Amino acid sequence: MTVSPDVEAIVTSEYEHGFVTDIASDTLPPGLDEGVVRAISARKGEPEFMLEARLRALRHWQTMTPPRWAQVHYPPIDFQSISYFSAPKSGDGPKSLDEIDPKLLETYNKLGIPIEEQMALSGIAVDAVFDSVSVATTFRTQLAAAGVIFCAISEALRDYPDLVRPYLGSVVPHTDNFYAALNAAVFSDGTFVYVPKGVRCPMELSTYFRINARNTGQFERTLIIAEAGSYVSYLEGCTAPMRDENQLHAAVVELIAMEDAEIKYSTVQNWYPGDAQGRGGIYNFVTKRGDCRGARSKISWTQVETGSAITWKYPSCILRGDDSVGEFYSVAVTKGRQQADTGTKMIHLGRNTSSTIVSKGIAAGEGEQTYRGLVRIAAKAAGARNHTQCDSLLIGARCAAHTVPYIEVKNPTAQTEHEATTSKISDDQLFYCRSRGLTAEDAVSMIVNGFCKEVFKQLPMEFAVEAQKLLSISLEGAVG
Amino acid sequence: MSPAPGFEQWLAPAPASAGGRLDWLQTQRAAARLSVAAQGVPGTKQEAWRYTSLSRLLEQGFVPAVEPVTLRPEALEPRLIPELDAYRVVLVNGRFVPGLSALEGLPPGVRVGSLAELLATDPDALKDRLNAVAGPDQSLFTALNTAGLDDGLVAIMGPGVCLPRPIELIHLSVGAAAPLLAQPRHLVVLETGAQAHLIERYVGLTDGLYCTNSVLEVMLGADAVLEHQRVQLESPKAFHLAALYVRLGAASNYRCINIAVGAAWARTDLRVRFTGEDAVCDLQGLYLVGERQLLDIHLDVDHQVPRCRSREYFKGILYGKGRAVFDGRVHVARDAQQTDAAMTNRNLVLCEGAEIDTKPQLEIEADDVKCSHGTTVGELDPEQLFYLRSRGIGAPLARRMLCLGFAAEVLDALGPEALRMHVAEEVGHRLEQAT
Repeated sequence: MTVSPDVEAIVTSEYEHGFVTDIASDTLPPGLDEGVVRAISARKGEPEFMLEARLRALRHWQTMTPPRWAQVHYPPIDFQSISYFSAPKSGDGPKSLDEIDPKLLETYNKLGIPIEEQMALSGIAVDAVFDSVSVATTFRTQLAAAGVIFCAISEALRDYPDLVRPYLGSVVPHTDNFYAALNAAVFSDGTFVYVPKGVRCPMELSTYFRINARNTGQFERTLIIAEAGSYVSYLEGCTAPMRDENQLHAAVVELIAMEDAEIKYSTVQNWYPGDAQGRGGIYNFVTKRGDCRGARSKISWTQVETGSAITWKYPSCILRGDDSVGEFYSVAVTKGRQQADTGTKMIHLGRNTSSTIVSKGIAAGEGEQTYRGLVRIAAKAAGARNHTQCDSLLIGARCAAHTVPYIEVKNPTAQTEHEATTSKISDDQLFYCRSRGLTAEDAVSMIVNGFCKEVFKQLPMEFAVEAQKLLSISLEGAVG
Repeated sequence: MSPAPGFEQWLAPAPASAGGRLDWLQTQRAAARLSVAAQGVPGTKQEAWRYTSLSRLLEQGFVPAVEPVTLRPEALEPRLIPELDAYRVVLVNGRFVPGLSALEGLPPGVRVGSLAELLATDPDALKDRLNAVAGPDQSLFTALNTAGLDDGLVAIMGPGVCLPRPIELIHLSVGAAAPLLAQPRHLVVLETGAQAHLIERYVGLTDGLYCTNSVLEVMLGADAVLEHQRVQLESPKAFHLAALYVRLGAASNYRCINIAVGAAWARTDLRVRFTGEDAVCDLQGLYLVGERQLLDIHLDVDHQVPRCRSREYFKGILYGKGRAVFDGRVHVARDAQQTDAAMTNRNLVLCEGAEIDTKPQLEIEADDVKCSHGTTVGELDPEQLFYLRSRGIGAPLARRMLCLGFAAEVLDALGPEALRMHVAEEVGHRLEQAT
């Protein structure tokens, strides 16, 4: 395949959102021991039980070794060279946007997230996380009127400890895996959402994450609780500044849906993927899991993964309640030297539970990606249904796409289907578009968008547009 | 280094046969012993053994069958397929028995017979061929087989030879006081343009407890064609391990049908590697897994060169407390452009307590390919059952009819007719118990 010079220029174009905002940070020295965990907990002013939970997690983590089973390659991480806490200096805490460090606001504006405008125009409440401390939360009062709690998790631990305590770590315990243990020990901040019984959250909730300050891993912790009969849609989107060293991101997201509740969780991830040789770039090792605890509850994950040097995540659903529903819609793009090992787990425990998996992988350049999924039907999950569709599109002779589905069925009334295809963009399709006057680039963009449509239509409107744009930018120049 | 715990007995020295005097073979055996010691006993943490524990196998205390067994031809009779017209090679507990075999009328340029005999008479014909397909990095059970490598079937067809009748290999296990282990080693070589048909059958003479750990290496030259049918009908208490290594030359054609019905515990590893362009490989399988049975099938199809085509189609019926594992992998290497591969695994689960774990993987490193896989797990369609019942057919028969229909797709591909009838009868018999 030949690549035109213009295309070459676009391929080698630098990461658009790459810059480091120079503001003073309150940062702990690198290293991880009990002292560091105590310091993080103290800085957050956490209740005693939280410190104990962190220390338990740390002691467990110290007995573990990093997992190596994923199809991703990277040098060993020195966990003692990472700084585990970094908070932007902002005095005694801002009361309104006016009090926020102007440099911070400038960063958001560069990213195209004008908080004020968004507040007014889109009706989205924004809990913006700059590094590790939530610095702006909006529309809190409107949400409060509906009874919805939407705040930083450190705040929730201070203000509603009895509400958080029984749920935190109940879906992803610290013993779950290496990075979940690490997160449980050192998580810096994140988001807490509580939707009371019967409430339909009046707006889409959204948090923008942004990694800043050199050499600080970001360990977000998100907990969303939807009480019986409630509904909430949560949007997560990320960009990151350009930097040289690999940066570890090990977040944990826990979702809990009670009877008849529904949680929709959407992610657009566009962190720095590293340079053309694969240097730098974010390591995105995330544990995301939803627990459909109540009957007829529903959890839906939608993700568009275009960034990060390495993406390693499996948003999962535990379908515990009878008639509960789990969904996973994913578009993953790897180009350059990006690697992604992603997929989902659907654990069917309740009767008549059903799950849908739609995964679209696009590998270009020397990108490598793996769909890894598990569908487990337990012996008691009578009438369980699963349908899985995972397709891979290959662009260029040096990319790779792998599919590793696990299907474990212990109930005779279960029905599972799995389909997967791997192909390149068909010459016939391309020829058809070209013969109607489309350029090769436009034709490919159109075909790829069609390929991903099933997933994009699951995204909230604003995100769908952004995701589509992101996809075409990501693939610019990948085809010749 | 000491051997892996539990397998010391498996490595008991082979009897002093002709092969024992060959330096190159001794070197291969010694390397295999070292490999066994280095590997240890794989646990369920290892991906290849994720769903299958070896503890049941290790508990049995199998000892290698060293005493030759004398059988009168009448004893074999009930295990023969009368109408099957084939060159017959009979192995009893892993050893060739000339008195039971029938090899008259082989055309020139063809050698079919005992591996031990050929090692004694013309070892040079084997020197560069034994272990050539299985390779130096052998899995535990292949290494165990190589360490005791002694006898089995050998079939070598010269260039352009077309064998008029199939070769039928009957591996018969005869019980003894102690549970016996047989480790037959087979080698099939088809040189350029040769054509042959191989039928492998594994049966027990009694319902006893025994273990078979067989390894088959198949080497296909350019344009060679091999029809291969493998029927595993071991006794209900038996343990069965089989590894098949196939290397396909340019424009060669390999077609394999794998029927697995017997044994209490069985594991099959099928490894196909394309080394010449434009070759075709068609793998089909049918497994029936019933009460307390475990059946584990692993496929590894490796497309190393462009323009090859592979089909993997496996169907399974599960009942009782049976458990089946299907782990299929299709790998397309970086330069293997225009590969066409499709893998399908369909499972029918008849009752509560049965379990199926299936994992069809694709690993693709080239872009101009057409690859797909599909899996289904489900029960019998209630509407189809209702249709049959409404026409006055009893529930058990209706269920059996639907199961036979499900199996027929693979069974119908079997040939010659005598073999198809034989297998269909066995499958039907087992489905009678299942439904």
